[in-house]
Amino acid sequence: MKRLINIVVNGEPHEVAVNPEQTLLEILREELGLTGTKKGCDQGECGACTVLVDGKPVSSCLVLAVSVNGKSIATIEGLSQNGRLHPLQEAFVQHGAIQCGFCTPGMLLAAKYLLENRPLPSEQEIKEAIAGNICRCTGYVKIIEAITAVAHSTAQ
Amino acid sequence: MSKYAVVGEGLPRIDGPEKATGQAKFTVDIKLPGMLYGKILRSPYPHARIISIDTSAAEALPGVKAVITGKDIGEVRYAFVDTPRYPADERPLAIDKVRYIGDEVAAVAAVSEAVAEEALGLIKVEYEVLPAVFTPEEAIKPTAAVIHENSLEGTSAWEEWGAAGRSHDYRAEVDIDNASARSAISFGDVEEGFRQADHIREDSFDAAATAHCALEPHAAVASYDPVNGKLDLWLSTMGIFLKRFVLSKALKMPISKVRVRHSYVGGAFGGKIDVFPYEFCAAYLSMKLGRPVKIELDREEVFTTTRQRHPISIKIKTGIKKDGTIVAQDIKLYADNGGYRGSGAIVVFLCHGFSFPVYNIPNYRYEGIAVYTNNPIRGPQRGHGAPQVRFAIDSQLDMIARELGLDPVEVMLKNVRHKGDVLPNGDKLNSCGLSDAIRGAAQGVNWTVGRSQLNKGEDCAKGSGRDGARFRRGVGMSLCSMFSGAMYYPFASAAMIKLHDDGSATLFTGSQELGQGIYTTLGQVAAEELGIGLDDIRVVAGDTEITPIDLGSFLSGGALVTGNAVKLAAADARRQLLEVAAEILEVKVEDLNYRNKQIFVKGNLDKSISYAKAIQGSVFRKNGNPIIGTGSYKGNPETDRYPSLAKAKGLFTSAYGFCAQAVEVEVDTLTGKVKVLKASTFHDCGFPLNKTIVEGQVEGCVSMGMGQALSEEIVLEKGQLFNASFLNYRLPIATDTPETKDGLVDSLEPNGPFGAKEVGEGAVAGMLAAVANAVNDAVGVRIYSTPITPDKVLSALQG
Repeated sequence: MKRLINIVVNGEPHEVAVNPEQTLLEILREELGLTGTKKGCDQGECGACTVLVDGKPVSSCLVLAVSVNGKSIATIEGLSQNGRLHPLQEAFVQHGAIQCGFCTPGMLLAAKYLLENRPLPSEQEIKEAIAGNICRCTGYVKIIEAITAVAHSTAQ
Repeated sequence: MSKYAVVGEGLPRIDGPEKATGQAKFTVDIKLPGMLYGKILRSPYPHARIISIDTSAAEALPGVKAVITGKDIGEVRYAFVDTPRYPADERPLAIDKVRYIGDEVAAVAAVSEAVAEEALGLIKVEYEVLPAVFTPEEAIKPTAAVIHENSLEGTSAWEEWGAAGRSHDYRAEVDIDNASARSAISFGDVEEGFRQADHIREDSFDAAATAHCALEPHAAVASYDPVNGKLDLWLSTMGIFLKRFVLSKALKMPISKVRVRHSYVGGAFGGKIDVFPYEFCAAYLSMKLGRPVKIELDREEVFTTTRQRHPISIKIKTGIKKDGTIVAQDIKLYADNGGYRGSGAIVVFLCHGFSFPVYNIPNYRYEGIAVYTNNPIRGPQRGHGAPQVRFAIDSQLDMIARELGLDPVEVMLKNVRHKGDVLPNGDKLNSCGLSDAIRGAAQGVNWTVGRSQLNKGEDCAKGSGRDGARFRRGVGMSLCSMFSGAMYYPFASAAMIKLHDDGSATLFTGSQELGQGIYTTLGQVAAEELGIGLDDIRVVAGDTEITPIDLGSFLSGGALVTGNAVKLAAADARRQLLEVAAEILEVKVEDLNYRNKQIFVKGNLDKSISYAKAIQGSVFRKNGNPIIGTGSYKGNPETDRYPSLAKAKGLFTSAYGFCAQAVEVEVDTLTGKVKVLKASTFHDCGFPLNKTIVEGQVEGCVSMGMGQALSEEIVLEKGQLFNASFLNYRLPIATDTPETKDGLVDSLEPNGPFGAKEVGEGAVAGMLAAVANAVNDAVGVRIYSTPITPDKVLSALQG
């Protein structure tokens, strides 16, 4: 039996009919066509499906869609505004923090949460904030550099 | 100031914004109208005979559109290696036997993944379980269960490419039923070399199987058009032309009816070049049903069934003079390629080919044997053989240097090859920055400070650890080398460049973006040669129908081979542009100069024409030529053919990339845990076409190499994979990131575009021995196998 849920995704309200076993990740990708949120493992281990639910990062593959009824969800598609990249997106591009790009959406949302709650984090805090997001391409070096650069430029 | 305007600069990658905003489409994101979903039934046994398969209950399940088994497909074989000597031994779905846990038995297409999954559970397979073998040691015993009994008939891919057929059976040389390949070579006089040696060591090393861990799971979308008989494929792959060749042959389709299409690839690291049963099955099911079919593997399937790095056991004997000159080396190794040959025949060749360019060893003997077992199949992984064999060679060299009271860095410097050296197979090192790389990497970890503590014979913990004796630090180094492309299908890369009315250009390339930044790098090469900016270039890539052939993004030929093709195409377009400009300006081509999309007459700045006007002028003149430049470059222009895998003869590559890698580690003597504090890699990539991208490649290699040195390992128990998830596999996460001090050695490779050669693979290989040597430097124990886990370090410390 499908159930109707109401969610706000990137500021826009959606009414979606969902099966009880469907995850938030499936709803975003399959029902709303927001394929920027990636499925890397479907086990909550890689962080590629990270989205913000009411501002907090979650692995959307572990969240049942019915449980987010009435909540607000931010995905990668909502990060840039009016065709302008978010400073974190801009920094990721400029610093070479993106290679294959598959971890990038989740990584950016984890970084966004960090900087909103800890505007000037230490290097260790940055590493810990993205420790749940696996990146096989970059060795994390340029990702850490990009997040650091945004923190410093915002602080100034 | 750089003499170039576009190459060399660390320009932001052109696919960056698309990827940063989630707009980039990967194969897993492709959804077509009417698309069905496929799933694969796999063997639960490591070795078994299939008695019967009953698919009737699965077929009756509502929502199931087709169920196929090996019988439906018939006699189809393919493999990554398909030569007269090593005929293809894989089938899309098993017919008679299954040979590892995960071997494909049946495939289902249904209206949803859930229905397809349910249908798998309704397929009844009766097996006769057979004795199985799980290590090369067991597999080579005369009494071992034989995994592939029958000799295989048919025309191999290599014969179709023009190689002579051969009646030769490699098994006659090895006399091991479960051997899948052998590669052997020697030069000089090894026995005489050992007689000349002052010091000889013999050791054994074991390197573990590891996983690629590309974040995007393997996936295929197939869409067959029954009216035109054409098959469209979206594949998560590293080489669209190789896939097209192998799949069209397996599907018995004309190559022109198969189109492999563009999508971004979410990481590959060698694990997405083999042709896989799920790709064949998606295509076969789509052709059977006339509807699009998508098969996406889950993470456990990716870990188990899409190849792993070969676990290799290496015996090595090295003879050395008192002054540190290596005079003889004898290497014998066994690689476990699992239930099918995979890249077994290649890895035993590359354990030699990727390694012998490092040291000049006058007397050398090498034998590599690949062996079938009932483990998962092994294939290429970043460095393909080099990490394993460099681990053995440089671990042992470090031990020898210590025994002789020599600094390992000095011993390395004494033995490395130099620019101008000719390798025993005839390859010439037109560039080689190894010596500079060694000095750079050593400095990156303050080598002399680390070594001096040891050289005094003092416990190196004094003053260096965080916490007196508990935490101890040490430094270690290792070297490696890597091809820049080689001769394999389709043997060359080509490129086209189309100029536009506004002076901009479109580059058409068959290369495949998988994270390495190839579109950006090639765009820079084209822009530099054309005298325009990177912003003026658009790259159309990854479509076998609209782009020219390409070697594919594996074996590290992207910069050199495809880069040269692009440079030649751009030069061709520029030549045509200047010719028409000369005609319009009524001067000779030699009198022209160009900059910023403007063509000038030398010495007369008033006389000029913009690229846009010249391109438009070209359309009005001649035969309406809009200017299309073409270029092509062979995998290795010096040779017609691939090298012999068995004899390791023939030219291998146009240029070798080199690197030196040094690390500083901290060992916790209470727990045995090793942490890499600093990693310093100096890579000789000839010339960095894009500095940021090159650094990113090195950093990624270092991280992967560090993971494989310390924690990564495929854990198998009787062929069953025990850690098929990221959590249990333990690859590096952000908190493991060491301080990195990377440097580039510009050696300017004359065969490369603007001097460029390999950068994306080599720097995994040196990390293993560098870490092992640093652990030894820190606590005085030698670990002979990877990964160097806390339990191994602790038991060595206690033993």
